[in-house]
Amino acid sequence: MTHEVLIRLKVNGDERTLGISPNTTLLDALREHLDLTGTKKGCGMGDCGSCTVLVNGKPVNSCLLLAVQADGAEITTVEGLAEGGELHPLQKSFVKHGALQCGYCTSGMLMSSKALVDENPNPSDEEIKTALSGHLCRCGTYPRILEAIRHREDFADTPLDTEALKAAEAEREQKRDHHVVSHGVTRYDGPDKVTGRAKYTADIKLSGMIHGKILGSPIAHGIIKRIDVSKARELPGVMAVITGSDVTDNYYGVSPARYDEQILAKERVRYVGDEVAAVAAVDEATAEQAISLIEVEYEELPAVFDPDAAMAPGAPVIHPEKERYAGNINTKVEWDFGDVDRAFAEAHLVRKQRFVGNRTYQSPIETHASIARWEHHGNKLTIWSSTQTPHYLHQMLSRTLEIPMGDIRVIRPAVGGGFGVKAETTPLELCAAILAKETGRPVKMEYSREEMVHHFRGRHKQYMDLEIAVDREGKIQGVKSDILLDGGAYTSFGVITAYYAGSMVPTLYKIENYRYRGIRVYTNLPASGAFRGHGVPHPRFAFESLLDMIAEELGIDPIEIRKRNAMEPNYLTVNALDISSCEFMATLEAAEEKSEWKQRRGNLPEGRGIGVGCGGFVSGAGYPIYRSDFPHSNAVIRVHEDATGVSLHIAASEIGQGSDTVLTQIAAEELGIPYHQVWMVDCDTVLSPLDLGSYSSRVTLMAGNAVKMAAAEVKKQVLAAAGEWLGCDPGGLVAVGGQIFIREYPEKKMSWAEAGRMAFAKNGPVVGTGHYRPPKNLGGGFKGSTVGTSPAYSFSTAVCEVTVDKETGYVTVEKFTDYSDAGTVVNPVTFHGQVEGAIIMGIGEGLLEDTVFAEGGRLRNPNLHDYLIPTIADVPEIHTGVVESYEPRGPFGAKEIGEGSMLPAMGALANAIYDACGARITSLPITPEKILAAIKAKEAQEGSTS
Amino acid sequence: MHIGDFAFHRPTTLAQACSLSRELGEGALFLAGGTDVVPDLKRRLRPATDLISLAQIEELRGIREVDGGIEIGALTTHAEVAVHPLVRTHLAALSDAASSIGGHQVRSQATIGGNWCGGVPCADTPPASIAGGAVAVVTNGEGEREIDAAAFITAPRVTALNTGEILRCIRIPARPAHSGTSFQRFTLRKGLALAVASVAVGLEVEGDRINGARVALGAVGPTPIVAKASIGVLEKATATDEVFEEAARAAATDAQPITDLRGSVDYRREIVTVLTRRALRQALGRAREGAMTGGGER
Repeated sequence: MTHEVLIRLKVNGDERTLGISPNTTLLDALREHLDLTGTKKGCGMGDCGSCTVLVNGKPVNSCLLLAVQADGAEITTVEGLAEGGELHPLQKSFVKHGALQCGYCTSGMLMSSKALVDENPNPSDEEIKTALSGHLCRCGTYPRILEAIRHREDFADTPLDTEALKAAEAEREQKRDHHVVSHGVTRYDGPDKVTGRAKYTADIKLSGMIHGKILGSPIAHGIIKRIDVSKARELPGVMAVITGSDVTDNYYGVSPARYDEQILAKERVRYVGDEVAAVAAVDEATAEQAISLIEVEYEELPAVFDPDAAMAPGAPVIHPEKERYAGNINTKVEWDFGDVDRAFAEAHLVRKQRFVGNRTYQSPIETHASIARWEHHGNKLTIWSSTQTPHYLHQMLSRTLEIPMGDIRVIRPAVGGGFGVKAETTPLELCAAILAKETGRPVKMEYSREEMVHHFRGRHKQYMDLEIAVDREGKIQGVKSDILLDGGAYTSFGVITAYYAGSMVPTLYKIENYRYRGIRVYTNLPASGAFRGHGVPHPRFAFESLLDMIAEELGIDPIEIRKRNAMEPNYLTVNALDISSCEFMATLEAAEEKSEWKQRRGNLPEGRGIGVGCGGFVSGAGYPIYRSDFPHSNAVIRVHEDATGVSLHIAASEIGQGSDTVLTQIAAEELGIPYHQVWMVDCDTVLSPLDLGSYSSRVTLMAGNAVKMAAAEVKKQVLAAAGEWLGCDPGGLVAVGGQIFIREYPEKKMSWAEAGRMAFAKNGPVVGTGHYRPPKNLGGGFKGSTVGTSPAYSFSTAVCEVTVDKETGYVTVEKFTDYSDAGTVVNPVTFHGQVEGAIIMGIGEGLLEDTVFAEGGRLRNPNLHDYLIPTIADVPEIHTGVVESYEPRGPFGAKEIGEGSMLPAMGALANAIYDACGARITSLPITPEKILAAIKAKEAQEGSTS
Repeated sequence: MHIGDFAFHRPTTLAQACSLSRELGEGALFLAGGTDVVPDLKRRLRPATDLISLAQIEELRGIREVDGGIEIGALTTHAEVAVHPLVRTHLAALSDAASSIGGHQVRSQATIGGNWCGGVPCADTPPASIAGGAVAVVTNGEGEREIDAAAFITAPRVTALNTGEILRCIRIPARPAHSGTSFQRFTLRKGLALAVASVAVGLEVEGDRINGARVALGAVGPTPIVAKASIGVLEKATATDEVFEEAARAAATDAQPITDLRGSVDYRREIVTVLTRRALRQALGRAREGAMTGGGER
């Protein structure tokens, strides 16, 4: 043990003396010793900037600075930004401009912003970008952060609880039929996230808490011959060690048809990182040391790293114990709709092209974290988890650990982004529960950035052979799509992914003849799972690219060919998806006009190009992941006794997308009270009823409907009391903004709170419940027809402009113009934030991102250093617009925006790059190297033919 | 990973630091900003029994004019180097290199000495300094010696420093009249990224005649590379597009890149060609601009 050293820090104005070990980083000193958890740990390696604090006024990554190096320094953290109880103008401005979503990067962003404006009160955009380019925000909030810094003084004197955001930008193009809905009210979670008060799982400390770590396999495929944990057990501070023999034999996973994972490997490891053993110790450092002392002897087996090799005769079998996975085939889809052969035979033109996707990773800045604690004499389990889907975690813990759901409580603290990677149960939660039981202590477990990427569950890499047949006018006659999905070692969401890759193709354009073959194959790579746009972004990129190739061949404008095929409202697709509202055509027209498509296309300077891409997504899956007859969303609203506040109990999951805000708005609108009178209680399965969580873009429509119904039930009770007091029929009353009045005689009124109090006094608690289930019998009844069903679909068009440096192949994305049909927009600020973030993520996946493996299946870039996601400096000018739309099945006409909005981006980029330099890149990501090679190949070809 | 245990030392003079280093031997590392050392310790890339912090040694700090040229103390941060007028005047390529490194937080913390002593192949300030004819001034606590900038890094993560030696400063000679420098860097994204390749150029001209040329390459070899073939093309030649093109192509043959996550061998050679061409043009422009205004580089 090293001796502790004494250091003195002035932290947020307070002199602090700390006795610490010299190997403590400033980040750990702040978080662990001083309990200043507003400073976040995203990577621990100086790549993400979420740990940024000011040291003597200069921003530094506190994860790269030893606390002893800061001895004598003045440190400012996010907790010290506000002065005298008044928020710093930057903090207010971030909230007001929607410059935060999940909030995990926010404190770091704020600190660098403060250092910037202290030194340079009027920074240019370029200066802001330079100052903030050492920060990563995976929600893609960059345009709003720029805006918040530019206009930080606008709100300096405005209290944060003012309802409507006054920035004119937030109100653009939004009709105001409502009093709370469609208004850019401040984010429900905004103030806590700009002050560092919001508690994420890793920020929570429980009395007596110890720490766990998991040992992963160093090889991609092998049999465990022997595990010796004795040295780990003997290490002082180690409290428990478990291996495969200490866990239940149950298989778990996501899709009930394919539970193929075990808590810890029993016999076989199937990818580098496959979980083998776990330890709990007094602190994380000891736990890390302990896992390094576990000796495992493996018999290494041949491994396969791509789907073709995995399907080859004689290939090693990855799941030999289950016959159904013979040949490493995990899922096979065979769909034939219409008369495809005839359509192709009679078509004017058929184009076929192979496209290849990339294995991208969600990369939320918060890594997975979990805490388990047993209570009630060890009979009841509480789990805190950074999950998107508390219910599925709840159900899977129950099933896998063999404990009734009634004995488990799932608490979801603030979540620092998910994008799909936090939608499934991980070994962290399961091992934490087991280790906590064994030691009798609360156990916290966190993945490091590297461990998290090894566990993966990112996007499936798809190999797509796409064929489109059109008539002379470019009308689509038929589509054939043949897709091979690299699934990795386990199923995860993969069955659903394989179906989604096929089912969503006919939703955007009218396609009457469609053949889809999908095969998901096991390989010895980390398992792929669900990632924003689930299975659809790669086929959509392929389709949008091929459609442009066809348009060029036919001499038709790319937007025109899309218009000729555009989906219409009230349409049943050939694969039986029920398209309800649809303003796709309006999005095409609006994007065409706003981007000045007609004027600019063909008239841009050398090296600059313009392209279009489209997309859309479900507003919630029509069926749950496992069969149940429960409503998908359920809500309870309870009026407090004096009725100046109400509680909204719902287990929908705020993960940064803004669902707390949107659901609170819907409740306030329907109740007829101000937004700020609603308390959101959404993070605890003991306090809130079942909701399936944040996946498949379901929350606004489904949870929103449940909330609206609960609110209507409460309002009925309150209006009854008001009717009695005002002496009129409750049916003639209106509730708005906390007032209740007679529709015919608006001067006859009373306060909502007074009526609510009377209702409570007379009848006891005023409670309303609501629930939502999707329309019955969605889908066609054929195998897999449930995937892709939804009550409603979103539609988007994006036009993008790029400049290609023809000497290096480097792409500068100049501009995105996007229009979406998302139904009624509940909150314009969070709406625009979601679309901007989706486009930025599309730029990352389209141009930069891919996980890369070395020989032996070892990840080469499990970090944010070599796996590059966009920074603020990489972000173009983005215009996001809304077309007028109303979805009858959605609350106040709303539908989804979070996932559909990222679908147009990659196709638009590919098409713009082609327009700029003639390079048609069919594999993702579209790197400068690929572009340069294509330019040179084209030049060589032109040289030889001329 | 958490950092293993080590003893922490805070010498206040160079002599103390050097003798501590000799005393403690191989397991002792010098610590400047820490932005390379701390991640290495977390990844357990270097076994360290002791860290010797240089932060208390005042003479390692600051930028000053010496004999018409400048000395940049090893503990000077990239942020300081990037904006310092003396650096801009004498070696604009170094200002540009320093301002391109990492994000703002890293530039506030990381030092030029650390950038040199880390010895990673993609370090940006060594090639930029080579373009200005810089030398490393090294002390063992008793006396000093100079090491040519191009000879300082000898292999990936290895320098010419002996145990007990400390890089005191980078010494940059006065910028000759009618000369200009340029630093060009290619990265896969705009913010916070390591170089795929970098090229630094220094040109001294008289009219169109090139009297002196330096070309240094970064991230395309085990160490910063002095592009000899390219320099051979430029020396005593006339500054024309054709000569620059030939020099740019020669630089690609000087490069010794590997294929890694950031690019293939062939692509990196392409990029070296492009960057060299651009660097030569900018350096020439700066040389002429300087000649016209009679002042330093802008």
